[in-house]
Amino acid sequence: SSQLSSLPLQILLYVNGIYYIFYFLATLAMIIYKSQVFSYPDELLAPDLAVLFLMAILEVPRSYLGFKGNLTEAEAPLGLSLGLTVGSVGLCVYLLLWQTYVLWADVLLNAALLSAYGLESGLKVTAIAAFVS
Amino acid sequence: PADIRDAAQARVRSPPAPITDVARLCVCDLLVAQCDVNCCCDPDCSAEDFSLFTSCSVPVVTGDSQLCSQKAAVYSLDVEANPPERIFKLIDQVNPSIFCIQATNYKQALYLKSPEIPTPENFDQLLDKFGGAAFSAEPDSWNWDTDAQIPPDANETSRYEYGAPVQTEDAFLRLPSPVVSSWCSDANPAGFLVNQATKCIRSVSVEKCDSIQALSMLFYINSSILAVPKSSQMVNITVQSIVVQSLNGMRTLLSTSDVLRLPMVLDGLCINAVLGVNYHITHTDTGEIIEAAAAFVLGAISKEALSIEQSFEISFTQENTQPVPLSGNPGYVVGLPVRAGFQPQGYPFPAAFLSNKHSQLTILHSTSTQDCLAAQGARAPVLFGYNMISGCKLRITAAMKCQPLAQTLLDVLKGQSFPEYVASFGNSQAQDVLDWVPITQLLISEQMISPTLQSSCQIPVSLGIEVKWTKYGSLVNPQARIVNVTATISSTTLKQLPSARERIIPVTSSVVFTDISSPAEPSYKAWPTIDIKLPFDFFYPFV
Repeated sequence: SSQLSSLPLQILLYVNGIYYIFYFLATLAMIIYKSQVFSYPDELLAPDLAVLFLMAILEVPRSYLGFKGNLTEAEAPLGLSLGLTVGSVGLCVYLLLWQTYVLWADVLLNAALLSAYGLESGLKVTAIAAFVS
Repeated sequence: PADIRDAAQARVRSPPAPITDVARLCVCDLLVAQCDVNCCCDPDCSAEDFSLFTSCSVPVVTGDSQLCSQKAAVYSLDVEANPPERIFKLIDQVNPSIFCIQATNYKQALYLKSPEIPTPENFDQLLDKFGGAAFSAEPDSWNWDTDAQIPPDANETSRYEYGAPVQTEDAFLRLPSPVVSSWCSDANPAGFLVNQATKCIRSVSVEKCDSIQALSMLFYINSSILAVPKSSQMVNITVQSIVVQSLNGMRTLLSTSDVLRLPMVLDGLCINAVLGVNYHITHTDTGEIIEAAAAFVLGAISKEALSIEQSFEISFTQENTQPVPLSGNPGYVVGLPVRAGFQPQGYPFPAAFLSNKHSQLTILHSTSTQDCLAAQGARAPVLFGYNMISGCKLRITAAMKCQPLAQTLLDVLKGQSFPEYVASFGNSQAQDVLDWVPITQLLISEQMISPTLQSSCQIPVSLGIEVKWTKYGSLVNPQARIVNVTATISSTTLKQLPSARERIIPVTSSVVFTDISSPAEPSYKAWPTIDIKLPFDFFYPFV
C-alpha cells in the first residue's frame, strides 16, 4: 500500500477533461443559437460569453494541477486545484441560474458538470487527507 | 382645474399595462361590452350566447411556446350537451424540445417592447432617433459607419448617367426655371438625357440692362461643358443660330451667328437681351458629351417693362442618329403616338427603317361635315392605349365608277402613306430591325361570304387596326411592348344604282389595343449552394 495516488480521482479527472471540452463547445453553440433566435442585446451577451471563456481559461490550470498533484502525491497542487474548482463551480452556477436564457439543455449540461465537480472535490479532499497523513 | 389636467396627462403618459394572464387574454374580443360571435373567450358573452355558437374561433391561448412549461387556456364547445356550453380549461403545456427556455433572467425577452410615449421632455430625442426616413434597430452602433462612408461621387463611373447634372467648368449647366413662383432661378441644373423646356419671368430694368448677367448671351455659353463628369475634357458651347425678335413680336433669323451680341441701351431700349435659349447637346451612346450648341432668341426690352419672360429648352441627341421623339423608354407610354416606319426597297437583307415624325400610324379623323371625300387630308395619330373610332359618310351616285371609288376610299381609310412596320418598343431605333413588327393586312370582302354572287364591285368600307400588346419586363415596372398589328379592311359590294339615285354608306375606321400579356410569374432566386473544393494536394503527403 505504498501508492497514495487515488485511482478514482485520476479516472474522474480524465473523464472530466473530456466532458469539459464537449460542454464548452455545446454551450458556445447554444449561446450562438440563442443570439440568433431570441432577442439577445449586446450588453447581456457579453457577460455570458465572458463567464464561459473565463471558465475555460480556469479549467486548464485546474485540470493540470489536479493531474500533477495526484500523480506526484503532493498536496499543494491538489489544494490549489481544489481552490480553482471552487471558482469553476461558482461560474457554473452562474451559467445555470443567471444566464440570460437558460434552456433545458443548459440545465442538463450544467447539472452534469456540477455533479462532476462535486464528486471531484470530494475525491480531492480524501486524496489530500491521504497525502498529508 | 389643474389636478384633473394632471391626472389626464398622467393617463396619457403611461401606456396600458400588458396583459400576461392567459386566462384573461382574448384575441377575438373586438366589440366592447358586446358579445363577439364564435369568440369563446369573450367575457361579455353569457351562457345563452355560448349555446348559439357553432365553433370556437380561438381554441387555445398560450404564452410564448418556446418556454418549457407554460399555462394555456383551452376553450371548446361541448355540442353534445343540450344546450351547448363552453368549456374552459387551464392546462400546463409542456414543450418537449430540449432547447426550450427553462428560465430567463431578461424580462423583456418574452414580451414585445412597450413603446416610449412621447412627452415634452423626450420629444426632441425621439425625433432625432426616429424622425428620419429610416432608422435601424440599433441606431448608435451604426453612426460610425455613416461617418466613414465614402462620398457617393467618389466611385462614379466616368460617364454621364440619366438625370445626372451636366457639369461645366465652374458648376453645372444651368437651365433657369421657375421654382415655387414664376421667377427665374438660376440654380436648376440640366439633367443628362432629360429633355426639358421651361419658362420663367425675370425682373429687368432698362438702365441696368447691360449689368444683368442673365440677359447676356455670354452668361449661357461662357463656361464649357465637361465631356465626362470630373474630367478635364471640355466641350465648348457653340452658337448655332441667333433669332432677333422685334418689339412687335416679329422674328428674324440672322445670317451670321458667330458674332456675340451683348445687351446695350439704344434709344431707350435694351437690345440684344436674351429672351430664349435652346440647347442642343450631342452625346455618344457611352454617356460622353461631344458637342453642345445653343440657339438664341434675342429681343428688345422697352423702358416700361419691369419683367420679361424667358424660355429655355434643352434636348439631347445621340450622335449619328436622327432625333426622333420617343414614345416611351423602353415600353410605350399611354397617350404617346405609336411609331411606325417603312422598309426601304431594294435591299436583299433586312435594312434600317425610315422613320420620322411624319410616318406615324394614323387613322381617319372625323370632321364636322362627315363627308369622306372632303376630308381626305385630316388624319389623327394613333396614340398608344387609346381605342379610337372615327368615320365619315360617303355619298354614292350612279355616275361613280367602281375602281376609282374603291381607290379613293382606300386612300381615305389608310391615308397617303400607310406604314408597313410598327415599333415594338417606344424607343426602338430605326437600325434595330428586329425591334419592328410588320403590319399584317387582311382583306375581308363580302364576296368570300357568299360566293354565289357574281364578281361585282367591292369597295372598302371599314378599316380596323388591332394592336396586340403585352407587358414585358419586371413585375414592378412592366413595359408595354407591341407584339402584333393587324389591319383589317372589310369591303362590301356596291350594287349598281338606278340613275339619279344616290346612296349614303358609312365608312368607319377604328383602332383597338388588346392586352395579351400572360399572367406574371414571380421567380425566386435559387437557393445558394455551398461550393467547396479542396485543393488537389490537400492530403499531401498521404495521397
